[in-house]
Amino acid sequence: MDMKHSSPAVIPDHQPSTSEKVLAFFDERLGLKEMQAKMLNEPIPGGSRWAYVFGSILLFIFAMQAVTGTMLMFYYVPTADHAYDSTQYIIHEVDYGWFLLSYHFWGSSAMVVCVFAHMSQVFLWGAYKKPRELLWLVGLALFGIVITFGFTGYLLPWDQRAFWATLVGVEILDKTPIIGDFIARFLKGGASPGQMTLSRFFVLHVMILPAALMALAGLHIFLFRVAAPAGPFKGTTEEIKAKTDYFFPRQIWKDIVGMAFVFVGLCALALWEPVVLLDKATPDPGEYHPEPEWYFLFYFQLLRLKLFAGQFGQFMGAVALPVIFMGLMVALPFFDKDPERNIFKRPIALITWIVIMVVIALFTVAAVINREFLD
Amino acid sequence: MAEERDSISPTKIGFGILWSACWTGIPIKAVFAVMAMTMGLVHFEGRFGLAFLMLLASPVTVFSAPAIMAIYDTHFGEGIGLPLIFGASIPIDIWALGLVGRTFFLERLKKEPPHDGLGFSIWWRTALIGTLIMPLLWGIVSRVTDTAISASHSIADMEVLRHIYDTGLPVAERIGLELTVWGSISSAVLFILSVVGVSVLGQAIRRIAEDCRPAPENYQGLVTRWDLMRVPNDQGLLLASLAGAGVVFSLVFWTILPVTTPHPHECCTKPEVHAEPIYKPGDALNKNTQRLAAMAAQIEAMEKQKPETKGQKEKGKGKPAGAAPSDNSKP
Repeated sequence: MDMKHSSPAVIPDHQPSTSEKVLAFFDERLGLKEMQAKMLNEPIPGGSRWAYVFGSILLFIFAMQAVTGTMLMFYYVPTADHAYDSTQYIIHEVDYGWFLLSYHFWGSSAMVVCVFAHMSQVFLWGAYKKPRELLWLVGLALFGIVITFGFTGYLLPWDQRAFWATLVGVEILDKTPIIGDFIARFLKGGASPGQMTLSRFFVLHVMILPAALMALAGLHIFLFRVAAPAGPFKGTTEEIKAKTDYFFPRQIWKDIVGMAFVFVGLCALALWEPVVLLDKATPDPGEYHPEPEWYFLFYFQLLRLKLFAGQFGQFMGAVALPVIFMGLMVALPFFDKDPERNIFKRPIALITWIVIMVVIALFTVAAVINREFLD
Repeated sequence: MAEERDSISPTKIGFGILWSACWTGIPIKAVFAVMAMTMGLVHFEGRFGLAFLMLLASPVTVFSAPAIMAIYDTHFGEGIGLPLIFGASIPIDIWALGLVGRTFFLERLKKEPPHDGLGFSIWWRTALIGTLIMPLLWGIVSRVTDTAISASHSIADMEVLRHIYDTGLPVAERIGLELTVWGSISSAVLFILSVVGVSVLGQAIRRIAEDCRPAPENYQGLVTRWDLMRVPNDQGLLLASLAGAGVVFSLVFWTILPVTTPHPHECCTKPEVHAEPIYKPGDALNKNTQRLAAMAAQIEAMEKQKPETKGQKEKGKGKPAGAAPSDNSKP
């Protein structure tokens, strides 16, 4: 090989084309081929799977949210006087504005659904266990950021739904001991939601949260590459070895199909139910019954139970319950040290997951029935 | 190994093939559905979730969905696009069932899949079983749900529950209790009937497999074979075709997508614009002069009426207190 290159008598097979020269120029300076090999030649124990697509889909949705969000910002005015009118202008006057806004709206829901699906997959696969504890913790932080994204974005159209959902959310935060009052005052920026609230939510939504999400997503991917994929939770060593494959091309292909499906699904949702604003935000709810975004409906319905009435009940429902739940999620990889990953051999984990799913489904449907009852 | 493959239950066989085939076909079917929605050929109203499930399970629902709509007078969408989408899903489902079926035969059943027609063979059995079972399942689940809802209302009205709270069962608790009761019953019935349907399909697929000879390779060989089955012979051609189809669909989508919102609501309807009449200064001046003259004549007439009215008032003062007042409003 060396002789071939060193000998002046050997004529190269072909002259490099212009594109090859350009590629070689950048490769020499940036190490593109090495980077490509590192990124794509990651072995996946047990081979590629559809269950692994949610992480890539989340990145895709975030990118699309950034693109559509930036386009919306060209017309949106983040002031209490003009937020509602500028959103109406986007919906009714700007070419394809209704579609971009509706895509962005449904994209936020898709992000929450995919985060939930991704976390469920990691939980059921037992992929949070040693040595992936940090990966799980960063994932939980990302979950919090995605939820906060939805919460802050909900206020921006400045209609009755936005105003009252935010007010309910901030009041729930207010019940947190020690820091609750500060958080509520910081978010509201005054006695009642107004211009300062809108400004603060806007800055959080378009500057702080995207930066935090990008930083943590980068860290999440880095930790994932360091720890390596966990692989399937069942199957013999022979089976897993026989199916082991590289990230490229099989998993990449599955990821692309998953992203295309999500894109098409979001287009369908935007066409099916485009965003329609309610009346402009006023301090009087009138006929409107305040309620949060659909993925919080189960929790909203849970808080309606008599069990969570009164000062102590409200504290238990609004603060203690979510804090305990998140605390358990954080502590999960540290108290579940059993190396067994097969979900069918972890009955407590399986039953817990089923119970959580049933409670969420049950209370979401109950909230919808309750809405009809109130109307 | 032979015992293991024989022990695979019909339910597992049916579910294993149906679940994978449904998800294999849905990304392509979804593209057709979105195009139909964009063109306004189909509307899904409030039952979008049900419509998605029907499209996802189109190998089963392709004929049963129209049957359900006809028998039970229910619908999850309307428009000419609906039969078009289900029609387009037939070849997609045949392809998906064939792809998944061949893989399943090799890896799970360790059988040599038939060379041709496996997809169609599984598809017509699935469609037939779906057409027979789905309307039955729909009817039974609907009836059971209605009965369970009535029963749950009665339970919530029970005297025992009234004693828990002074003012009777609160709304949120009542809704939760009722939903748990009827939701559990109808979910259980739906689950059992679905398992029966999937099991019948699994038995039909098992009969196809009985005619196939065992695959000769070891596990590694089988995996390599079914893995290569999924790789197209000409990958470049496939990628170019897909990219081309993507570009065409994108262009068509943006061309037919409504520029303004297809759902304008009352608050934002634009006021009707009427063309202003041409302004003629001469006419306007004449009109103003005429108007002024008319107003001057009106004032003059009112001035004349004033003394007459005064005289009538003075006469009225001389009348007794109980007498009816004169009609002063008359000019």
